[in-house]
Parts: sequence; C-alpha cells; structure tokens
Amino acid sequence: MYRFATYVWRDTIRWKRAPLNVLSTLAMPAAWLIFMGLVMPVKYDNYLDFVTPGILVLTMLTSSLGAGSSIMFDKTLGYLNKFLALPSPRESILIGKIVFITLRGLMQSTVILIISILIGATIYPISTYIGMYILLTLFGISISALGTTVALYLDNHDSYAAFQAFVSMPLYFASTALIPMNEMPDALRYIAEFNPLTYAIDGIRDIAQGIIPTFSICFLIILAILIMIVCSWKFRSITIG
Amino acid sequence: MTDIFTSKLSKSYEDVLAVNSLDLSINNEIYGLLGPNGSGKTTTVGMLTTLLSPSSGNAQVCGHDVTTEPKTVRECISYVPQYMAVDIRLTGRENIDFYAKLYGIRDKSERKKRIDYALDIMDLNDRADDLTKTYSGGMQRRLELAQALTHQPKVLFLDEPTVGLDVIARKMIWEHIADLKKNGITIFVTTHQMEEAERYCDRVGILKKGVVVKEGTPSHLKSALKSIITIKSDGKMPNILPDNVDFIGNENGSVVYASDNGADMLPSLIKKYDEAGIRVYSSMVRDPTLEDIYLMSVGTETVDTEQFNRAQIRRIIMKG
Repeated sequence: MYRFATYVWRDTIRWKRAPLNVLSTLAMPAAWLIFMGLVMPVKYDNYLDFVTPGILVLTMLTSSLGAGSSIMFDKTLGYLNKFLALPSPRESILIGKIVFITLRGLMQSTVILIISILIGATIYPISTYIGMYILLTLFGISISALGTTVALYLDNHDSYAAFQAFVSMPLYFASTALIPMNEMPDALRYIAEFNPLTYAIDGIRDIAQGIIPTFSICFLIILAILIMIVCSWKFRSITIG
Repeated sequence: MTDIFTSKLSKSYEDVLAVNSLDLSINNEIYGLLGPNGSGKTTTVGMLTTLLSPSSGNAQVCGHDVTTEPKTVRECISYVPQYMAVDIRLTGRENIDFYAKLYGIRDKSERKKRIDYALDIMDLNDRADDLTKTYSGGMQRRLELAQALTHQPKVLFLDEPTVGLDVIARKMIWEHIADLKKNGITIFVTTHQMEEAERYCDRVGILKKGVVVKEGTPSHLKSALKSIITIKSDGKMPNILPDNVDFIGNENGSVVYASDNGADMLPSLIKKYDEAGIRVYSSMVRDPTLEDIYLMSVGTETVDTEQFNRAQIRRIIMKG
C-alpha cells in the first residue's frame, strides 16, 4: 500500500510540475466536448446528454493508454531497472502506475462533467455521478493495465505510439460513442457489440436514465480482473529474465 | 560471510554464453570488473542485483542466494545503473525521499535523518531543494549515490559510475566511493576507465567473453609485466620481433610491446623496424599500467556485440 502510494506520489509531482501537461490533460477533453457537443448537427433532444458519456469514455481511453507511454519512459530512461532492484514488491510499480493514470483520467472526467453542465447538459443526482465514476474507474483500470502490458512487450516509444493510434481511433468509432447501436450499419454493429467502450458508454447512459447497468458492470469487472492477471503475470516474467 | 560470492555462475541468451562459469569472492573492498563492451559485465551485475536470473551456477550476495531469496538480497544492496535516472522535475531532497519511502522507511523523522546524512555525505546540502534539472552531471550522479545510501546497504553496485563526467566530477565521485568503503560498504563497480580502476579499486577482474581472464590487485597484475615499449611509426610493424619482446596492442596510434627489460631491448626492436624498412617516428620505454594488462588480456579485437540501441541514443539526446 505504502509503496505503490509512493509511486503515485512521484508521478503526480512529475505531472504537476509540467504546466503544459496539466493544461493539455484538462483542455483536450474540454475541446472534444465543445466541438462534438455543440458543433455536431443536433438530431436528438439533447445531443450533449447523448454525447457526453462518449466523450467521458474517450477521454478515459486516451488518458489510460498514456500509462503505457509512462512505463515506456521509465523503461527506456533506466528508472525501471532501478525500481526493480529495490526491495519493495515489484507489482507496486505496476499498481502505482495504474492508480495514478486512472485518478488522472477521473480528474479529466470531472472537468468534462462540469463543462457539460455549464453548456447545457442535464444535472443528475449525486448517486448518478457516483455510478458513472465507478464505471469509468473500472474502464480506466482495464485500459491502463492493457497499455502497460503492451508497453512491456514493445521496446520503444515509436512502436507504442503506433499501437496507441492503431487501437484508440477504431475502438472509438466502432462504439456507441457517437451513434446509438440501432442506427449503426451491420458491420459496425458486430464490432461494437464486442467493444468494451460500448459497455462503458452504454452503462453510463443507463445510469443517467436511472437504470443500474448490471451487465456492463459485470463485463467491465471481469475485463479488469482478466487484464490485471495477464498484466502482473507478464510483468513478473519480463522483470526476471 | 562473503559479501559477494559466486560459483560457476553462468548466463546464456539463446545460443550466446554471456557469462561463463564465473567464480567471485568479494568482501569489504572496491572491486572493479573491467572488460570490453559485450564481455558480460552488465549481465553479471544484472544477476547479482536480481534483475536477471542465472542460467546455471549460483550467486550469493550478503549470504543470501539471488535466485531463492531475491527480496532479502535487494534489501542489503543498492544498484546505480549506467544511465543516470534521477527525476528532473523533483528536487534533490524529493528524489532521495522517494527512494527512502520505497525502501520502506516510514518514520518521517528517521527518513529526514537519513536523507540529511545522504545529502551531507555527497556534498549536496546547498542545492538539496533545487529541482534536479538544474544539477550538473556530476551532481546528478552524486544524487544517485545519495539515493542508494538511504537504506544503509551492505553492498553497492555501480555500473560505469563516471561515464560522461568531467575530470573533476570523476575524481569527486571516486573519492566519495572510497569514503563509502571506509564506512564498511563493499563496492562492486564496472568501468572502462583503466586509470580510475588502477587508482581506486582494491582488486580488479578482467572479463573477456564472459570469462574472468585476470584477477588481482592492480599492482599485482602490473607486476606480471616488467616494462613497456611504445613505438610510433608510419603504421606498420615488423614481422619478426626480438626475443623477449611481445606485441600487446595499439594505443593512440602507437604500437605497444611488453618486455622484461625495455631499456635494453629498445635498440634491437628499432633495428627490426629498420630492417623491415619501417620509419620510426618516436619510441618510449615506460612502466606498465593497468591498461597494458587489460590490452594484453582482452586483445585488440573489438568485441562489440552490444546491440545498437535507439533508446540509448534518444536518452543521450534528451539529456543534452
């Protein structure tokens, strides 16, 4: 507990002291929301309410994939080797990274929620927001664990950036972020049905309408557990070669 | 108890034997592992610091086996890798605090005491609260040593501790290392800097293709050679050498020979050059150095099997 909190502390300070990083983490999601929510042709009663969950999950996705580049930095700059030679449990490196990245993603989500309210989205009761945060946390843990695992396999930033681009855009457009499932072309719908983004986004929409999305929550919990198991197994095997 | 003990320690990567049957016994001293790139130095350090698992043989650090008790080993060692890795957006004090916390020192006042001690011993007090990005290379290296000291390790592993530093910073680092030894810490260092190894290491081992080919105190190793002749000529060397003169390598454009009695042998060696029609520009007889022993042991062939690493280049650019 103490050790992974130390890694979180370190990443937080490093992030906090780079003003440009902070600005871009907070301004990017705002820009997405404003462009997508206000500029897109309004077909629904409140497209902003429809699109906000999509933007929340997109932000969580890009932010969580950042976990991979963060561990890649630690790996290529030699920090990781120093950490591995320490007596603290090696998994705490991994957990610290996932916790920091997920918390940072939740912070961005908060910015989006505040701005969405400012530009006209519905205000929900507190319990709704708590539900949204639970789903976003589960999703964030899964994706950041996935990102770190992939980064452990790859050996440089270029390959990781390629992976990031390769994964994030298709996943996003093949999800229910921008259009509902029943309006999708068939081919896209098949993909969307297996896409974890769909479960996160639809789950958040259900919560907004007062429905508890049991299936989405279960799906995301199982996904998070599975990825964490693979991730820690991979981490152990790669760090003792 | 021996601080570092290995017996027939080997490591192979697929079909390459990186370290071959290494036997070491190191106790309260500065031990320098020398060898060309790709000779297995970093692999050896990797196994001793539990970053790599040995393929065969065994290794004990502080009396604990690196394979079966890796955590106990990590508790009694510190490792400073070759490439500097201090967090530049943290202050010097925060950098050390970070490691102190990772070493599990929870008590705040105890941590402060240890941090102050480490800052003090590495002469970093004045700049402790500045961001590390304002530190010079030498200061960053000292900060890394300070980080490594917070949990009072018994054995300290240093991979190329003076690489990229200027002369004064190098000297300072070595003086600090020598002080640490006086405080009872065993230091295992890998280096390419022969003069530094000669001056500061109590014992050195010369590694060639994963095998220790020479081991001993620098002065003992040097005593194997009586004197050295260096000759600068127009590039070639005679095919036939006088008896008692052995070719050992090239150094700064000169050819280096070893002989039992250099002063007596010099004229006959030059005569061989004359007979072969080679012009001699200058010649010199001097006492042997550790570098001569090194050249003689590893040969002059470049054993560069280290992969070209893009990440290293980027790291150098980023540090610049």
